[in-house]
Amino acid sequence: MSGQNGSAVYVYAVVAADTDLPEGLDPVGDGAELVVIDHGELGAVVSDIGLDRPLGKRDDLLRHERVVNTLARETTVLPMQFGGVVSDDQAVVDELLGENHDYFAWALRQLEGCRQFVVQGRYDADELVGQIVADDPRLSELSESIRGADPDATYYERIRLGEAISGQVERIRGDDAVHARRALEPFAVAVATKDVVEEDGAVNVSVLVHRDRVSDFEQAVDALGDEWADRVNLRLIGPVAPYDFLPEPVDPESVETGAEG
Amino acid sequence: MTVSQRQGGSRVDRAPLGDLAQVIDLILDKGLVIDVFVKVSLVGIELVTIDARIVVASVDTYLRFAEATNRLDLHQKGGKDLGQVVSGMTEGATHGGSKGATKGVIEAGKEKYDDFKSERRQKQGRDK
Repeated sequence: MSGQNGSAVYVYAVVAADTDLPEGLDPVGDGAELVVIDHGELGAVVSDIGLDRPLGKRDDLLRHERVVNTLARETTVLPMQFGGVVSDDQAVVDELLGENHDYFAWALRQLEGCRQFVVQGRYDADELVGQIVADDPRLSELSESIRGADPDATYYERIRLGEAISGQVERIRGDDAVHARRALEPFAVAVATKDVVEEDGAVNVSVLVHRDRVSDFEQAVDALGDEWADRVNLRLIGPVAPYDFLPEPVDPESVETGAEG
Repeated sequence: MTVSQRQGGSRVDRAPLGDLAQVIDLILDKGLVIDVFVKVSLVGIELVTIDARIVVASVDTYLRFAEATNRLDLHQKGGKDLGQVVSGMTEGATHGGSKGATKGVIEAGKEKYDDFKSERRQKQGRDK
């Protein structure tokens, strides 16, 4: 590891000192070795990277993700943002771990033993749209009246129909988000409801789970999947690094005396 | 690769996190950023393949929902599968809005990278 002569040091994550790296992980960039640089209570997972090539290829991002999330299955990690580079090994010690030592150590303690899961759901659109239309006589009628008609002639009717359906989807989505949160909260350290971005998206929830509760949590996800079997296809992603639950960089001392509990 | 073993019969899909769209949704622009970080330029991620970040409510969406009811009626009479309609609408929406903003990010990243490079050059110059 050097960082001299056109190379720098790519940083993946901060972990506790003396952390063993899992084997078989490919670093971002070519040929460089993945290592941990320790300082105080902390270790930085890094590899050398040449500055002569732009970063951000599909493979770079996937390798970054693989390193961080494989580590996250073994130990508590603070994931760094993709593309984070410091100038050399000394900078890792002085400027990264040294400067931020208390914050990192505090954040690692906050997240100790926790991992993140993401629960995403997609509606069975067939079922959903069918149900919405069937439940509202006005919509059934409207749908019936424009079927087979000239699309241009019924443009505004179609907009009206779609808008009404979209509104109902929004309402159902809101109810489902609340329901999912309630179902998973008992097994979670924290829950973050995220925006649903697909038209047929049902729920998108990040959950921080302590490792002792993982199996209970997974059972709760299964139960939710069973309950929603006819309407929503659920997907469980994780465990991954706690991306959605990173503590804000504040003065650790004020936090320990203040916001706790 | 991803998750724990399942008892048989779970309806929930345990997804390995290998899909680029998922990875981008989960981690891009997240994680800690520290003052000493230089963001090396982000170039070349195939952003067109992201099916995330789609604007949900729009006239296009309404029209697709309306179209879906049309297909739904046909489907009930043994016609087309709505699943095809849904995958079609996701695809269509993918090529919309998000590109411009992303490009801005890439350019911002590149600027910083260039700054970083010239800074290093100056440093090396001073050291001599």
